[in-house]
Amino acid sequence: MKNLNKIKSLVVAVMLPAVGFCQDQAANGSSTYFSNALFLTLLSIIIVLAIVIVAFSSAFKNIADSDFLLNKYVNKKDDSSSTTRNITAIILLFSSIALMAQETTAVAKVDNSLIGGLDQFTFYFMCFVIFIELLVMGLMFYQFNFLVRTNIVAKEGKAKKAESKILMSLTDAVAVEEEASIMLDHDYDGIKELDNNLPPWWKYGFYLTILVGIVYLINFHVIGTGDLQGKEYEKEMAQAKIDVDAFMKTSANNVDENSVKLLAEASDISTGKDLFIANCAACHGKLGEGTVGPNLTDDYWVHGGSVKDIFKTIKYGWVEKGMKAWKEDLSPMQIAQVTSFIKTLRGTNPPNAKAPLGDLYKEEATVAPSDSTVVKNDSLQIQPTIDSLSAGKK
Amino acid sequence: MELQKFQYDNKTVKMFAYATILWGLVGMLVGLIAAVQLYLPSSNFSLPYTTFGRIRPLHTNAVIFAFVGNGIFMGVYYSLQRLLKARMFSDLLSKIHFWGWQIIIVLAALTLVLGKTTGKEYAELEWPIDILITLIWVVFGWNMFGTIIRRRERHLYVAIWFYIATFVTVAMLHIVNSIEIPVSFWKSYSWYAGVQDALVQWWYGHNAVAFFLTTPYLGLMYYFLPKIAQRPVYSYRLSIIHFWALIFLYIWAGPHHLLYTAVPDWAQSLGVVFSVMLIAPSWGGMINGLLTLRGAWDRVRDNVGLKFLVVAVTAYGMATFEGPMLSLKSVSAIAHYTDWIVAHVHVGALGWNGFMTFGILYWLIPRLFQTKLYSEKLANMHFWIGTLGIVLYAVPMYWAGFMQSSMWKDFTPEGQLKWQFMDTVTKMIPFYIARSVGGALFLAGAIMMTYNLIKTIKVGTFLEVEEDEAPALKGEYHSHSTDHWHRWIERKPIQLMIVSLVVVAIGGLIEFIPVFLVKSNIPTIASVKPYTPLELQGRDIYIREGCYTCHSQMIRPFRSETARYGEYSKAGEFVYDHPFQWGSKRTGPDLARLGGKYPDSWHYNHMVDPTSMSPGSIMPPYPWLLEDQIDGNSTIAKIKAMQRLGVPYPEGYDKIAVKDMETQAKQIADNLKKDGIETLADREIVALIAYLQRLGKDIKGEGLKAEK
Repeated sequence: MKNLNKIKSLVVAVMLPAVGFCQDQAANGSSTYFSNALFLTLLSIIIVLAIVIVAFSSAFKNIADSDFLLNKYVNKKDDSSSTTRNITAIILLFSSIALMAQETTAVAKVDNSLIGGLDQFTFYFMCFVIFIELLVMGLMFYQFNFLVRTNIVAKEGKAKKAESKILMSLTDAVAVEEEASIMLDHDYDGIKELDNNLPPWWKYGFYLTILVGIVYLINFHVIGTGDLQGKEYEKEMAQAKIDVDAFMKTSANNVDENSVKLLAEASDISTGKDLFIANCAACHGKLGEGTVGPNLTDDYWVHGGSVKDIFKTIKYGWVEKGMKAWKEDLSPMQIAQVTSFIKTLRGTNPPNAKAPLGDLYKEEATVAPSDSTVVKNDSLQIQPTIDSLSAGKK
Repeated sequence: MELQKFQYDNKTVKMFAYATILWGLVGMLVGLIAAVQLYLPSSNFSLPYTTFGRIRPLHTNAVIFAFVGNGIFMGVYYSLQRLLKARMFSDLLSKIHFWGWQIIIVLAALTLVLGKTTGKEYAELEWPIDILITLIWVVFGWNMFGTIIRRRERHLYVAIWFYIATFVTVAMLHIVNSIEIPVSFWKSYSWYAGVQDALVQWWYGHNAVAFFLTTPYLGLMYYFLPKIAQRPVYSYRLSIIHFWALIFLYIWAGPHHLLYTAVPDWAQSLGVVFSVMLIAPSWGGMINGLLTLRGAWDRVRDNVGLKFLVVAVTAYGMATFEGPMLSLKSVSAIAHYTDWIVAHVHVGALGWNGFMTFGILYWLIPRLFQTKLYSEKLANMHFWIGTLGIVLYAVPMYWAGFMQSSMWKDFTPEGQLKWQFMDTVTKMIPFYIARSVGGALFLAGAIMMTYNLIKTIKVGTFLEVEEDEAPALKGEYHSHSTDHWHRWIERKPIQLMIVSLVVVAIGGLIEFIPVFLVKSNIPTIASVKPYTPLELQGRDIYIREGCYTCHSQMIRPFRSETARYGEYSKAGEFVYDHPFQWGSKRTGPDLARLGGKYPDSWHYNHMVDPTSMSPGSIMPPYPWLLEDQIDGNSTIAKIKAMQRLGVPYPEGYDKIAVKDMETQAKQIADNLKKDGIETLADREIVALIAYLQRLGKDIKGEGLKAEK
């Protein structure tokens, strides 16, 4: 029973900081941690390791209480038993988590770069905790090994018993030497069966998973506190919009088809060229000569040849004609760079050039809007396809 | 008590053992070729028959049903006779069973490379073979129950509970999932469509893992492990609880293959919670296996067969812990469609099934041939090279899966996808190479084993007549008051079978009935229309070429997927998909909204040479689609079959279907002509383009409006 109390106090020690941690998170409204897969993975590793440590230390206690260790320690003056030391170490460890957890959110705000959706501090901190846990386990194992080994030297033949004691404390099994007492009387082609108890951790683990299952279903389908996939998606999209908008406000990247201008910097043109080769060359040829897609080096344009028109064409695409929308793949700045690169192709007369398509576009008209139907930004995204098609063909 | 003399049938065991080895080598070799094709697409020899899409199903079917299947029968025929103290019921049935199963395998291999497939993973075989499988399975069950009835042992040992559960459940799964309407001798359409088909298919697929790869092998473990280790089984009570819990819970877990898809939320949640609950029952098997070795670990050091079994049981424990973790929605969101899943299944297949089979063979063959193993040293080498192979296989795949998934989900701060799909493919190449090295090592180990066993067989003499004796069972059994309550069912095989069937039927029924009967589970969408005849022909080409082995057609509701592929997939979009083609792996991009994304000519060029349109692509070319003619004669039968399945083509449509098909084909051919591509309108490429251009288009307009 003494054991049990110690374990209880240990569990409390573990739980307290964890509860504190959760409250911290909730207070800051950053429940997003719990929808982050990496966070959950790391957290579960931490918890599993903690459970292993607890289980291990209870096995440890069992040996510590056994005769041979008592005998061993009679000869030793050092009476701060290793178990106590270990438990102290664990408590210290977890209270340090509690302390650090207080700081987590504060630091997180400073450093914005993310690792797998986690801020750097949380990520490294959790890795650190795992490392410490592994260290504790290593130490425990080392000590344990040491104890058993010294014991073998001290009392030959008892090592085997020590071994089955650990196993027994985890499995609630009858010792191998006494297994005749639980042997069933059947014999199947020489195979006999023992009637050992169910290992307690297995049995309670099973109950726990059933409980988890029930709580899960209640959470998502009875009281509905958990988000199902539709709702989860809406939240993800809303959050993404907030993040992107916030970034764009402070970014020079913020160009659209109304504000785009021809870029002249050599670096922009060469970036544009790289993007073109990677994304556009498959249909328009490496030199813009046109293969599946139209020739981009001549003066004829199917959807307008101004910087704004080309930007628009790349951004929204002309899906019916096989040009996909690139706005999810390329940033506005990148589209501007590709556009500017395409403008440098004019008149390059590459070999195997495809025959001209579309309408003649006069370069002088750059300043004035080339088409009379200036479409407003918000209506752009739902261009009536038939109209725009025929407008393109004229 | 009078002892009865009888003889064991070792010949059938021997034949199944040979078949296990042979098909194991074939299945692994095909797997290795498929693995190499992922970084060297040209290693398909430019033949239609050896493209990835056709040999990947060949690989999975060969290792599951040929290698493991024969392994099961080998182990069952050996252990059943001895556990029951009776010869197999009928030598004729044994013979029919053996040769019938081998004919099925050969037919499967031939039809799969010829592109005769139903397009449902792990159930690709066409209807005539499905019927043959059913018949042979019944022969197996008949033979098994005949033996059980004539047993000289009152109670059935735990291994036999697993065999019985395997028999009834596989029969149920196979029959329910294979309900299909034949169009011709080698072509059929699944009776189910879309969401329903997906649910039935993964109920089957998941439980094929459970009841073909797991329960029979647990049965084998319960016989061979204590037998080889000469130790009593650890806990009888654990056997009882983990057996019943396992077969009851497993059946429910199928929907965990469909998390975040268009399957109703409640069904997904059932898949999640039942998978979590499966951890303990699965581990019950592992614990009972490993703890049986208590006090016998020194024997593991000396006995190579036992070594294999220990690693097998450990791999089983790892895979069955990882499985429930992968079933959590947040983990599935990362791992699904990636190589992580490939790693997971191979830990099970190579570790659990492979090593268990090898371990049993190393013990069994010397016994059957009354001699010692030719070389213990070589077997030990096999053990290490095989273990190394598994590690080298799994680690790169885990890494690759996690990495690719992270890349798919990466956004720039501006809100654009950071990587083109192709970037994520080219990054996989080194991992694919490492994986094929791991696979090659595993195969090398199997070849070493084959050599070792052949040498053993040559030295020994086959124990054709093995005699044994046991008292006959006498009439009534008077139970002792000390008997465990479970003993009752252990002496009632028929009741055991019936109770097992009831237990395994529950989960499926509760998940299926609402999805089939309650309309709100699959909200219909008015704009979704049946495929045109040409598109239907194209779809059948898509199925034939096994496109689903690399391409999904199911966009999950994630920002990273809707940004890349378009509006996420809705249940109502698939109501005419007999069978569904959602896929389970994205070696290439999702195709659910491919329609209209590229011009016809892009698809044409892409099929001739994928790298011309997407540089770096690892998709093989499909030049024969340019030459081969569409099987126009089948159109009428196909439309009629679809009508019988409830697809609302107008009455009498089959009469004008061919004309419709030709008109649409001509349009596409004209379209291609504009881009300078000359092709006849009756070529398969035209039908395939028609289908690809249709994908996801039905709700494209609505999806866009909804977004605004």
